[in-house]
Formats: sequence, C-alpha cells, structure tokens
Amino acid sequence: MRILRYIGRRFLFIGPQLFGIILVSFLLVKLIPGDPAVMMLGPFATEQQIAMLNVEMGLDGTIVDQFWIYLQNLVQGDLGTSWQTTKPVFDDLAIRFPATLELITLSLLLALLIGIPLGVAAAYFKRSIVKKFSDYYGLLAGSLPDFWLGLILIYLFYTIMQVAPAPLGRIDFAVLPPPPVTNFLIIDSLIAGNWQALWSTLGHLVLPVITLAVINAGPILKMTQATMERMLESDLIRYAEMCGLPKTTVIRKAFRNSLPSVVTIVSVLYGFLIGGAVLVEIVFSWGGAGQYAVQGVLNADINPVLGFVLFSAILSLIIYLLVDLIYFAIDPRIRG
Amino acid sequence: MTDITAGHSERSRWEAFVYALRFLFAVLRARPLFALGYFIVLLVVVLAIFAPLIAPYEPEVANPVDFLQGPSWRHLFGTDATGMDIFSRIVYAPRIDLTIALAGTMISAVVGSFIGAVVGYYQEGGGFGSFGAGFVMRAADVLQAFPVFVFAIALVAIFGQSLESIIAAIAFVNAPIYLRLMRSQVLAIRNMRYVEASYVSGASDLMIMLRHIIPNSMAPILAQLSVNIGWSILLTAALSFVGAGVVAPTPEWGSMIAMGFQNIITGQWWPSVFPGIALAVTVFGFALVGASVEVLADPARRRALAGSLRERKKPA
Amino acid sequence: MAAAKMTVAVEAGAPGSAMLDIAGLNVSYPVYEEEPVRAVQDLDLSVRPGEIVGLVGESGSGKTTLARAVMGLLTQPGRIDDGSIRFDGKDMRALSENQLRAIRGRDIAMVIPNPRSELDPLIPVGKQIAAVARAHLDIGRAEADEMALDMLKAVHIPDPTRRFRAFPHELSGGMAQRVVMAISLVCSPKFVISDDATSGLDVTVQAQVLDLLRTLVREHDTSMLFITRDIGITAHFCDRVAVIYRGEIVEFAETASFFDNPQHPYSVMLLAAFAHNPALRNKWHKPLASTEAVAGRACQYAPRCVHREDACDERHPDLRELGARHHVRCHFPVERVA
Repeated sequence: MRILRYIGRRFLFIGPQLFGIILVSFLLVKLIPGDPAVMMLGPFATEQQIAMLNVEMGLDGTIVDQFWIYLQNLVQGDLGTSWQTTKPVFDDLAIRFPATLELITLSLLLALLIGIPLGVAAAYFKRSIVKKFSDYYGLLAGSLPDFWLGLILIYLFYTIMQVAPAPLGRIDFAVLPPPPVTNFLIIDSLIAGNWQALWSTLGHLVLPVITLAVINAGPILKMTQATMERMLESDLIRYAEMCGLPKTTVIRKAFRNSLPSVVTIVSVLYGFLIGGAVLVEIVFSWGGAGQYAVQGVLNADINPVLGFVLFSAILSLIIYLLVDLIYFAIDPRIRG
Repeated sequence: MTDITAGHSERSRWEAFVYALRFLFAVLRARPLFALGYFIVLLVVVLAIFAPLIAPYEPEVANPVDFLQGPSWRHLFGTDATGMDIFSRIVYAPRIDLTIALAGTMISAVVGSFIGAVVGYYQEGGGFGSFGAGFVMRAADVLQAFPVFVFAIALVAIFGQSLESIIAAIAFVNAPIYLRLMRSQVLAIRNMRYVEASYVSGASDLMIMLRHIIPNSMAPILAQLSVNIGWSILLTAALSFVGAGVVAPTPEWGSMIAMGFQNIITGQWWPSVFPGIALAVTVFGFALVGASVEVLADPARRRALAGSLRERKKPA
Repeated sequence: MAAAKMTVAVEAGAPGSAMLDIAGLNVSYPVYEEEPVRAVQDLDLSVRPGEIVGLVGESGSGKTTLARAVMGLLTQPGRIDDGSIRFDGKDMRALSENQLRAIRGRDIAMVIPNPRSELDPLIPVGKQIAAVARAHLDIGRAEADEMALDMLKAVHIPDPTRRFRAFPHELSGGMAQRVVMAISLVCSPKFVISDDATSGLDVTVQAQVLDLLRTLVREHDTSMLFITRDIGITAHFCDRVAVIYRGEIVEFAETASFFDNPQHPYSVMLLAAFAHNPALRNKWHKPLASTEAVAGRACQYAPRCVHREDACDERHPDLRELGARHHVRCHFPVERVA
C-alpha cells in the first residue's frame, strides 16, 4: 500500500516535468531561424504543401495556438514526419530506440561487471595493486573519448585481426533479420528461433558494447570505490568489526549499504547514454535513436529531434521511477 | 604599534605561503600522479602558446603530394588524407580546444554558482524568495532531463556554427552542475551557527554572502572546475566529431579524428590515433589536477594525506 | 547486594590472573611536520576476572583510543608505539587479524554510545543480534534467532517478538541502546568494554540501562572496563576506579578508597564539580588561562593544578602506590579535600 502512495506521489511530479520538457523543446524549435514549415517539410517541399502545413499547425496563429495544436498532435501519438526518411517520426523511433536500448543496456551490464568488483576490491585492499589499478582506470576511462576508442577497436579487431564484423549496423547484410516484434534484435531472433540472426546480432554488439562498457565502467568503479571506502570507515562497519563479524559479512554489509549510490550512478549513466551513445552509434553505423536525432539537427529536419527529446525524457523518467522502486526495495527507512 | 602588527601579519602570511608551498611539493613528491597532472596541463598550455614555434608545418596548409604518409622523421605523426602534417595540427589544436573548454566552463561556473548561491540563500526564507528558488530548481530539472549531447548540438544549430555558440552551448549544459553544487553548499553553510550569529548581529545579506558563504563553498566548486574543463574538451571534440563543432580545416582534435575515420578502416591508423591520444592525455591531465584539488581543498582529506606523508618520512 | 558481590570479586582476583592486563602502553597519532599526538602514554591497567573497573576522563583524554587499542581497531593513522596488551593470557598485539576477529564480539564485547549510525539500517535488529551469535558460535540460523529473541527479552525490550523484526530507525534511543547491549552480550563474553555507553540517553533511561548492564554483567561473572565521563556513576557501579588525564592514569584505586580519600588534584576537581558547595568547587577549579604547553618532563596537570609547585614543572611524577592498592601520579597528593 505504501508503495502505491509512493509511486503516486512520484507521478505528481512527472506531469509538470513532462510539460516543461515539451514546452522547452517546442520553444527551442521556435528559436531556430528560418521558416518552420520549410524545416519540417524539407528542401523539396512545394509551395502548396508549405501553405497547407502552415494552416494545419496554426503557424499563422499565435504561439499559444501553435503550442495547443502541437500538444493535441502529441496526445494522438503524432510526432510529425521526417523529411529525410519520409516516414512518421513515431515509426522511425519505434525501430531506433530499441537499437539504442539494446546497445546501452548490454553495455551498462558489462560495465557493472567490471566496475563493481574492481571498486569493492579497491576499497577493501587499500594498499594493493588492485587499488592502484582502479585509481588509474577511473581517471583514464573518464579521459578517453568513446568514439575514438571505438575506432581503435575497429582498427584492431576488424582491420588488422579481421575477427570482428564490419562496423556497419546491427546485423550482417547477408543475414535475413527476424520478423520485427519488439525491434530488439536479440529478443526477436529468439522469438523467431533464428540462430543465425542471433549470432550475427551478438557479433555486431561485441565491439560497441565493449567500447561503451570500458568507458562507463569508470564512473561506476569510482562511485563504488568512493562509497565503499566511506562505508568501510563508517561507524556502521567499525561496529561490525568490533563485533568480530567475518570479513565476507563485513564487506557484504558495506556493499549493501553502498548500493543506493551505485544504483544512482547507473541510472544517471543510463539516462545520459540514451543520447550520449550517439558517437559510438555513428562510429558503428548503428542506426540508433541518438544518431537519428543528430542527423535531424545537422540536416535541419526538426521533427525527429523533437520526437527523440520527448522519447528520451519519458524514458529517463521511467528509469528514475525504477530507481525509486529499487531504493524502496533496499532501504526500509524509505518504506517506513 | 600598527606598524609592528602589520609587519607581523606580513611575515606570518609569508611564512604561511612558504609552508603551503613546501607542503605542496611534499604532496607532489609523494603523489607523482598529481605532479604528472600539473605537468600535462602546463605542457598543453605551453603548446597552445608557442605552437607557431614548435610546429614544423603550417597547420592548415594541405600538401596533396604528401597525403596519408605514415609517421616518419619528416612527418613525425604522418599526414592526413589531404596531406596536412598531423603533428603540427595536434600542436595547434589546444589553442581552440582549450579556449572553448576554458571559456565555456568558466562562464557556466560563474553564472551557475551565482544563481545557485542566490537560490540556496533565499530558498528557506519563505515568501517570494522561496517560490522563485523552487521555480529555478524545477527549470534546472527540466534542462537536465534533456539528453546533454543532443541538446548541445541543437544549441549550436540554433545559434549558428561559430566559436561563440559552441562556447555558449558548453556553458549552457554545464551550468546546472554548478547551480546544484553551489545551492547545496550554501544551504549547508547557511544553517551553520556562525552564519546565524552574524545574521543575528545585524550583517546584511550581501555581507554574509561575501564574507562567509562564498569563501566557504569554493572548495568543491574548484575541484569540479578542473574535472569539468577536461570534460568540456571531450564535449568540444565530440561536437566537432559529428560535424556540429569546429569545422575543418581548423586544427581541432575531434574533427581530426573524424577526418581519419574512413582511413582507419583501410588501415591508415595515424590520422585518428594521434589526435585521440593527445585528447585523452589532456583530459587525463585535467582529471588529475581535479583529483588533487579535491584532496587538497578538503581539510579532512588534506589532513589524512599529511599524516601519510609523515609516515613515509619516518623509515627513511 | 552489590557490595557483597564486589568483595567477592576483589578477592577472586589474585595477582597475575588478570583478565585484561595492559602494561606500558603508548598510542600516538602522527601529525604532519609536528610531534605526534600521544593519545595514551605509559599506561598500566589491569582488570581481574569478574571485576568492573571504571575509567574516568574528560573528552580527548584517550579513553576511546584505549578501548580501540585493546580491540586492535585503532582508527587511522593511530598506532601502538610500544607496551603490551594481554587478554586472558594471550598477547593481543601478537595475534593475527583473523585471530582478533574471533575474539572480538566473542570474548571481548564493546557497548557503544548513541547507536544510531552503528546499527545496520537495512537489517532487522533481531537478525543483527543473531548474525553476531552465528559468527562466533557453532549454531544454525533458527537457534541463533532464538538466542537473539532471548537476548531481547533479557535486556527488557517490551514486546520482543515484534521488535525482533523492527529496523533500527523504528527504535527509540534507549531501545537501540538495549539492542547494542544484547549484541555485545549474546555470546556471553568474558570481558565487556562499555565506552560511555549511556551518554546519549535521558537521565531516567540512563539509570535503567546502567542497572540492567550491571545486573547482566554480574550474573555472568563477566569482567568489564567501564569508560565514562561521569565520575558519579562509577561510585555505585565499579569495583575499582581509574582516572585518566591526557592519556595518563593519574589515580587508580578501589572504589571505596577512591571516594573516601581522593588524592590527585584532578580527581578532587572532578568530584568537587559535583558538590553542591560552590566554595568547594571554586577551590579546586582553576580556569585554564591559555593553552599552555606542557614543557618537557613537567607534570601534565600542572597548568590546571591549584597546588602547582616548582617541582611540578621540573619532574614528571610517576604513578606510585600510596596506601593499599591506591596509586597516584602526583608529587603532592591531596591529604584533605575540604
């Protein structure tokens, strides 16, 4: 029961925040110099089309009218059309968001597998090689440009060793992709039982996932290490030591109490990567959501940008909600 | 009488300075990584200033005869697809990268922490101040909910692709960090007894702000600043990499990596690898400086460090 | 009743069979480019089986450092420079970390004050008691839970079955204090260190908790080092009383002897502070004009002493025995208080 009230309170905040995001992105578009109708229809639009769109969007009315029309379209799931792909933005994003999510979810899972054990070990063995290594790793990972690291990996594993597939999308051209259900290629291949597609998908994921995981393990490692170090010096752990609890119990206790900040950093990274993975997407021609949005900005195709911003805002709100639920599960003080 | 005290305070200030300097050197000896960080940052700044003296070639002059040459004594880091000397371009690049990152970070730090300080100061006062503060924080929430990178690109697109608009974009996406940091600092310091005491004894808001709150909240801001400069260099390079930042042929690390993108698949690694290394080393340097500031600016961690210095000395 | 037990305890403690025996202990914290802070200096202290020894001192006198040193858990960068700590015949300084871990919580238990941040906020308190039992005793989960429940009853927590599942933030200060006592006593340790254990509680609750602690310790014939800032408590709580000042024991005597005839000016000052007689209080109290450094071998208490003489600045006094088991570190022991 408490949990429902908790979620309810959360949703109260989400409404205004979502409205703010829509308003700001709408105003941003208004700020872009040039005729918005031309921007939405692209350089090949006819006079007639432009005139029609102007009426449709209320572009000759006041800005409030325009916003109202925009909101009404949004509610109907109409995010406009991209003149580059000539498809509705909603349909485009329905393919591209799963591509991005597949990539960053796996990357963050791998990053967790690297970051957490290293962070815990570095915090516990204070004068060890592991601690030294973690210190360097944390600083170095934060300094490496991910798009450059991706290029290096391509050079090593594709150009030189020729073990990785060509950095051109999510699946081999020669392989027939599974029928789209969720648009997550791994899941769709599993549903279709198409092992060849699954194998090809996994192969294409390896390099970009390693790239993003290596970089993003840095902050996870640093956060885990810092929180664990603070925990291990805390009254809580000092008392556990006084009680003579076994080493493993003490470490587990410290880790459990550090978990909220690790969850927080992971959620922040996840929110960041929805758009932040774009550079790696470009390097690997991934066809992800970020790449779609950046191409939109660079080619003055505005509907994809707005759609992307909205989608990712909603997604980050969902992530924050999930994070709250996790906090709720681990900390009785929030429950109480 | 006044002369004596003046002289005294002068001397003790000098002594304090010498002590601080000696402490710093002791720290740098004990923590060579910190020293490395300062060295890298210094080196990059020197490169930026003396680039014309160091670079063997003009950075923006293509020599089509010499295109895609591998590293050699003639072209230390090789040449790119248009035949420009990569080493010279790398040496020139910090001029623009550092300018953008420094300016962007400074503007965001000053503006962000000013707003943060005001918001933090008036948040708990009730009335209109609290309302305004709440509004600013919600606005910051909304801004931070935007995907940073796409937001920055969109800003550059809106303002037009110029140096100023890249700086503005970087300042804009960084400002909320300082706003939050400063606000939380001010909220904490505001409730300290000594601030209350000075409020009770009739000091004005401005006096309290200048005397107590700003000096006491600088440490984390400074630590953040250095790390943030490194991060802004990365962001500048990333913007240029996708074509929304500095435009070729201006020497800039990110756009150089982008130019070498196609070559790397066909096996010419040098046009991308060297600028990437330069970029990573520079950011690494700023991260190290940030880490050292973080330790030195925090009294508790400084004391812990000092204790460990003492221990090192003993067995020697 | 307490008095009768006390005499028994004192008699039982034949010399040489001490439960805890600290000799010549020095603990210091290094400071950058300065002399290290000597938190404990040449300290001798012994606690016999079944005995309760009170250790009284102001904050910063080295009480907690001493407790931590005994447990082998000094906070960084503190270290033991020399001296020996023998517990139950074992040289604690020679034991490995794992051996110490087996002793902590099992044979030596610590009762801490204000257990707000010490209890694990994510685990029900009953489980925390059980975890300590399971760590040291060869028992199963169910048995440990049962022991924990028994302990909750033993420390008089109302409605123990429900409290077993309570989280620390759901408990009052007094109740959390009882939980900490339950944790420290669940393995029936031979020795308990109580570090200012009741300082955060209301006076009424404090009395109840202290009573309970004493009863439990006496029942199991456990020895205890009772560290406190409140000299008044030691009078009816301890068999012997030691006063610590700046890391040194300045007076160590049996309780009756100590309260009848306190001999160190510092002890007298502490006692006088409780007196209802302002004249007596003022007579023994000297406001410290400046943070006067104690030069070389001078008596550490000299700057605050109302009876300071030249000898006090020249020679450091040794701890010497005046009368039956009454040790004082003073050149000019107090003969008459009033």
